[in-house]
Amino acid sequence: MTPSWLLDIFAAIMLVVAAVSAARLVAAPAWRVGRGAALADIDVAHLLMAIAMAGMLATSLQTLPNGAWEVVFAVMTAWFGYRVVRDAQLSGFRALAGGHCAPHLIHAASMLYMFAALDMPVAHGSGGMAGMGGMGGSMGTLEYPTLAFVFTLLLIGYSTWDLDQLSGPGAGGHYSLATRPTPAPVLAGVAAAGAAGAEAASAGAAGPDASGPDGADPVPPAVGSGPADGQGRGVLAPWVAISCRIAMGVTMAFMLVIMI
Amino acid sequence: MSDIAAAGVRPAWRGSLSAGAGAARGAPDARRLLQLVLAGIWLLDGILQYQGFMYTKGFSDMLAGTASGNPGVIARPITWDATLVQHHLVLLNSVFATIQLLLGLGIAWRPTVRPALAASVAWSLGVWWFGEGLGMVLTGDINLVSGAPGAVILYALLAVLLWPSDRGSPAPFAAARAVGAPAARALWLVLWLSLAYFALLPSSRAPQGLHDMLAGMEDGEPGWVAGLARGGAAVVAHQGLAASIVLAIALVIIAVGVYLPPPALRATLVLALVVAAVIWAFGEAFGEIMAGGATDPNSAPLLALLALCYWPARTAVAAAVLPAAGEGAIAS
Repeated sequence: MTPSWLLDIFAAIMLVVAAVSAARLVAAPAWRVGRGAALADIDVAHLLMAIAMAGMLATSLQTLPNGAWEVVFAVMTAWFGYRVVRDAQLSGFRALAGGHCAPHLIHAASMLYMFAALDMPVAHGSGGMAGMGGMGGSMGTLEYPTLAFVFTLLLIGYSTWDLDQLSGPGAGGHYSLATRPTPAPVLAGVAAAGAAGAEAASAGAAGPDASGPDGADPVPPAVGSGPADGQGRGVLAPWVAISCRIAMGVTMAFMLVIMI
Repeated sequence: MSDIAAAGVRPAWRGSLSAGAGAARGAPDARRLLQLVLAGIWLLDGILQYQGFMYTKGFSDMLAGTASGNPGVIARPITWDATLVQHHLVLLNSVFATIQLLLGLGIAWRPTVRPALAASVAWSLGVWWFGEGLGMVLTGDINLVSGAPGAVILYALLAVLLWPSDRGSPAPFAAARAVGAPAARALWLVLWLSLAYFALLPSSRAPQGLHDMLAGMEDGEPGWVAGLARGGAAVVAHQGLAASIVLAIALVIIAVGVYLPPPALRATLVLALVVAAVIWAFGEAFGEIMAGGATDPNSAPLLALLALCYWPARTAVAAAVLPAAGEGAIAS
C-alpha cells in the first residue's frame, strides 16, 4: 500500500492550493470589478478541486458526500466544456493545445471520473467519503482503468507544458504563458498592448470573451503579463494560478495511478 | 527582426518537428517539445513508482529477479541492491519515485533542464543495471516485443540526443543538434540493428515464443487490451520464426533509413512509429499500466519518441529538394 504519510503530504499540498485559491478569490474583487467576473471560475475550480482531493487523500479532511462532489464536478465539467467550445469557435483546435480552459476541463472531468468510478462499496451509500478517504489504508480502485490512464496522460501533458511555459523567457522573466493561440505578429505586440491583455492575464486565465484593443482579434491574455502590467501582483500573479494548476495536475495524476 | 516577427503568420502555439524552427515565445522548438515529452514520461515513471505494489515485497523480488541469468559480476550487485531495498522498502522506494518525479519536473522547468538531463543519464544507467539487469541483454533471454533492451537505457540515449546545445551548422534533425549528424546516425543504426538481432534470438523465434509472450499479457488488463493480446497471439501462433524474420527485416530497414534522403527517411521513421505502436499495443499492453504495478510505460513510447528526434528538419528537406540558392533563401 502507498504509505499514508505520502498521501498526507499530497493532501497538505492540496490544502495550500485551496488556501491560495481562496486568497485569490478574496483579493480579486478589488480589481476585477467590471472586468469579467467569469475569470473567478478558475480560482473557484481550484478551490473546490483542492478541497475534494485533500478529502480523498486524507480521511480527516473529508467534507461533502461523494454524490455532492459528483454534482459539483459534473457542473464544473459542463462549464469548462462550454468555455472550451467557445474558445474553439474563436481559435479552432488551438484552444485545446494552448487554451486556458482545456486543462481545467480535463481536471474537472478527471475529478468527476474519480468520484463516479471509484469501486469502493463502503463509500457508496454512506453519508460521507469514508471509503474513499484513507486510500493508504484501504486502497480504492477505479473502474474503467483505460479512462484513468488517458486522464493521467493528459494531466501529465498539461502539467509539463505549464511548467515549460511558466519558466519560459517571457516579458516578465519568470513566466510567459502562451494561453491563447494567436498569430505570431500579434504575440509580438502583446507587451505594447498592455492593459487590455492584462485584464485577463491578471487572473492567469483567458476569458472566452477576451479581446484585443480593437475588439477584433483575441488577445493572448496571459502572455507576457506580469508585475509590469500593474495588476496581478502577489497572490494574484498569473504564475500563482498556474503553479496551483501544475500541483493539482500532478497530484491528480498520482491519485489516478495509485487507484488503478 | 525578432524571432517572433520572423515567424510570420505561423501560429505561435504550433510547434514544429523541424530542428531549429522558429522559437516564438510560448512556442517551443522541436527539440524542446521532444524534451517535454521526455519530461512527461519521467513524470509518469515517478508517479507509477508511488503505486502500492512498489511498497510490497513484490518490488524487491522483481529487482532480484533481474539478476537471474546475468554474469556474477553483474548479478551480485543487483542481489545486494534488491536486499537493501527489501530492508528499507518504504524509504528507498519513496526516494526512487521522488527522484524520477523531480527528473520530469526538472526537464520541464527550463532553467534546470541541463542538470535534470544529466542526472537522468546517471539515473538511467543505474536503473538499467540494478533495476533491469542490463535489460537482460547478456542473458540471451530477451525479446524486443517485451521491452528489450530495457526501456530505461533509452531514456539515457534520449537525454544525450536532446541535450540543449548546438554544434553550429544547421542540423538535419533534432537528434543531431547536440552530438552531430554522424554520431546521431551511428547511435540510431546501432540501436535498431541491435533490436533486429534481438528479434532473431532463439527465445524470440521459437514457434510459440511470441505467442506465449503475447498471451501472457492478458492478466489484469481491461477487456479490450486483453482482446488485443489474444488477437495478436492468435496471429503469431506457431509462426514465431516467420514473425521474427519479418520484424527483423523491418528493423534493419529502419536502421539504415537514417542514411537515406529526407523523403525516404520520413518513410522509415513512419515505419518505426508503426512498429513501436504495434509493439506497445500488442506486445507491451501499453506498459501494463492499466493492470497496475508497472514501473514505466515500457520501451515502445521511447522508441517512438526517438524516431521523432530524427524527423527531417525543414532545412534538410529543402537542401535535398531545392538547389543551393533556394536552400540559402529558406534557411535565412
